[in-house]
Amino acid sequence: MKEKFARWDILFWQYLKRDWKKMIFWILGVGLFSGGFVPAFEEIAKGQGLIGMFETLQNPAMISMVGPTPVETAADYTIGAMYAHEMLLFCGLFAMIMAVLHVIGHTRKEEDLGLTELVRSFQIGRQANSLAAMAEVVVINVLLALFISGLLIVFNVDTFSVQGSLLFGASVGMAGVIGAVIGLVMAQIMPAASSATGSALGIVGLLYIIRAGTDVSNVDLSMFNPLSWTYLTYPFTENNWLPIVFVLIFSIAMVVLAFTLEGGRDMGAGYLPEREGRESAKKSLLSVRGLFIKINKGVIIGWLIGFVVMGAAYGSIYGDMQTFLESNEMMKQMFAQSGFSIEESFTGTIMMVMTGLVSILPIAVVNKLFAEESRLHLSQLHATKVTRGQLYWTTIGLAVFAGLIGILLAAGGLGGTAISVLGDSATIDMGDFFAAGYNFLPSVLFFTGLATLALGWAPKLGKIVYAYLGYSFILNYFGGILDLPDWFSKTAVQSWIPQMPMDSFDAPIFITLTGISIVLLIIGYFGYKRRDMVEGA
Amino acid sequence: MTEIVKLKGLQKKFGNFQALRGVTFTVEAGEVVGFIGPNGAGKSTTIRTLLGIIKRDAGQAEIFGKDVWKESLEIHKRISYVPGDVALWGSLTGGEIIDLFMKLHGGGDKQKRDYLIKRFELDPKKKAKGYSKGNRQKVGLIAALSVDSDLYIFDEPTSGLDPLMEAVFQEEVEKIKEAGKSILLSSHILSEVERLADRVVIIRQGEIIETGTLDELRHLTRSTITLSTEGDVSSMEFVEGVHDFTQKDNQATFSADNQLIHDILEEAIKLGITKFEAVPPTLEDLFMRHYEG
Ligand SMILES: Nc1ncnc2c1ncn2[C@@H]1O[C@H](COP(=O)(O)OP(=O)(O)OP(=O)(O)O)[C@@H](O)[C@H]1O
Ligand SMILES: [Mg+2]
Repeated sequence: MKEKFARWDILFWQYLKRDWKKMIFWILGVGLFSGGFVPAFEEIAKGQGLIGMFETLQNPAMISMVGPTPVETAADYTIGAMYAHEMLLFCGLFAMIMAVLHVIGHTRKEEDLGLTELVRSFQIGRQANSLAAMAEVVVINVLLALFISGLLIVFNVDTFSVQGSLLFGASVGMAGVIGAVIGLVMAQIMPAASSATGSALGIVGLLYIIRAGTDVSNVDLSMFNPLSWTYLTYPFTENNWLPIVFVLIFSIAMVVLAFTLEGGRDMGAGYLPEREGRESAKKSLLSVRGLFIKINKGVIIGWLIGFVVMGAAYGSIYGDMQTFLESNEMMKQMFAQSGFSIEESFTGTIMMVMTGLVSILPIAVVNKLFAEESRLHLSQLHATKVTRGQLYWTTIGLAVFAGLIGILLAAGGLGGTAISVLGDSATIDMGDFFAAGYNFLPSVLFFTGLATLALGWAPKLGKIVYAYLGYSFILNYFGGILDLPDWFSKTAVQSWIPQMPMDSFDAPIFITLTGISIVLLIIGYFGYKRRDMVEGA
Repeated sequence: MTEIVKLKGLQKKFGNFQALRGVTFTVEAGEVVGFIGPNGAGKSTTIRTLLGIIKRDAGQAEIFGKDVWKESLEIHKRISYVPGDVALWGSLTGGEIIDLFMKLHGGGDKQKRDYLIKRFELDPKKKAKGYSKGNRQKVGLIAALSVDSDLYIFDEPTSGLDPLMEAVFQEEVEKIKEAGKSILLSSHILSEVERLADRVVIIRQGEIIETGTLDELRHLTRSTITLSTEGDVSSMEFVEGVHDFTQKDNQATFSADNQLIHDILEEAIKLGITKFEAVPPTLEDLFMRHYEG
């Protein structure tokens, strides 16, 4: 036992030393996001704000997005209750995703890169690295939890009790730990870092979708969902510490599982078996397009399945929305006044959110070309009659195609399920769903254009496109809840596009945004054509 | 003779670092040129410039009389390249990757491919993720050798190959050499260069410091001489052109400048030679001198 983990502490200190900048960034980023919105919520709460928000968030559509609250009457809905209700799930998700990426980056990725081999040749236990990485992530999340709690206490809002603040911070920190253990387990099972990251994030996404369903239908069932253990602590209202205990038990079990799995496998190997391959290539592989399809296939299919499931999950809520409206006079009036049905309003918002997620796929495909380049996969190809233009435009073709199919599946999944649960009472048809989805095509193209711009001129910045996407996504998601100034909302590209079916189609905007995106693609091409290929150093 | 590769005053900067400071040399038709130099000298950088992977800052670079950057496509139809670090897509098999390279290059020979797979003892059904360093290198070599080209560019092609496979590589290269193709071979394995190259180009810190045939280069260096004489051998130490002199009883070992060998032997004869051995410089010695320069 000792042998396996020998000298892990050395690695651990090494990691802290190596990562301190990243840690500060991480803790400040997630921490400020989690604790910094208090003044904004105080604004919202003014006047009738709390009551209005309480009613709005009773909508199953809203619950599916932000989670439930234990508060039953508007009178008990304090700022604290609202803050936990709207923020905690997202902060938890955020912390979780960071931890997944970090743990896999420090374990499986280093293994794939051959760094682990080097480390193991020193007097260091076989599993010391995993333990050190895990310990580091726990330390980061503890610091994060303390930072958030401190921040909340410092704001000194009446209904933010000290206990609640501590619990809020702990919930976010624990979400990070859950992400870390999920990442660690997937790092053992999958055959490579990329598939480990993909599957771990896939699990997080799946947990999110499942909880959307159980939160709406029966919150008790959410208690079985590790992701729900974050917001089910209900800080500032029930202050329930029990889920934290669940997290601890769950995490310990997962860590033991991960270490057992790791102990039983060879370095660089996974548990999913390798099949023997083909002696010679199929015709379909023998072109740049064939090759790019092959190397992107896994990622594309994975996300496409995700889009259908997500669409279907949100579609299934349409039935509950009707019931909700019938039981709530105030909301009924609100919607009657606005002139849209609740379905139409929800469809507009959710399509914006889903096309935001769909944008991930083209960005990933474009960034893949640079990843291939820097891993030297293309050196020998460059010396064939394949041109840079072929590499570039094939990639873009594939990215755009993936975006188109992504929207099709997301809108189809949403519309198909919605219409089937609504039955005769449906006020919208499939056409509306597809129109609402493809209405956002220019934003998907815009993100593709940004990614290609980076590819052509500053390929190392390709990842920043994700950051901007994440930023826009959060802005869109909360835009409806928080009352943001117009200029601020407009920094997210999707905000320029009217939301169908509530708003009508805006052809000039559609064409302009598409045009800008195409210009970005072309500018990117000129950069790509003339820059040095990055090959090692 | 026609120049297949022609470099003149080639310069390349990476940020502030001047990696190439005026590289000039040629590869003639039907010639094998060994391209050698210490780590970081600029061999791979030169080759990448030739392939249009990176863009030169200044100077002239042509292959088949065409500009390597502007007309790369025309050039690439007729060249093959193997990098020193063949990186492959883990999810494809070696066989699939070879087929893909052949197809993208054009003009591949299926029979040659199968023959080479056998000669290099590669298992083409294995996913590339499972290949060792040497096996990855074989995939790159087989792909490059299976197609018909007029110029072959190898950048440390045999790194990671075992001696047996290295011998196979050398035999195959000799075949393309006999077929009259041109080859630019960068390598740290000097015996390989010694066996294959007609001419050697030595680069150091981004500059070509020597070019010539092996014989020409040998002439510029020293042979190792072991000598016993009747008279006192220690007086040899002070003859011009004698270096690294050591003596044991009446036997001396030293290295001698080849240009001054006549004078040195004349001095030795005066002492009465009883035993004489001369070892010509190996390529290794030659390069030690140049590398350390
Ligand atoms: N993309 C790059 N960015 C910055 N510096 C680079 C880059 N590529 C090469 N260099 C630097 O240029 C110099 C020459 O590198 P090069 O790879 O050409 O050497 P080499 O002669 O091939 O060496 P080796 O024998 O180790 O392969 C080195 O100092 C290297 O660090
Ligand atoms: Mg090199």
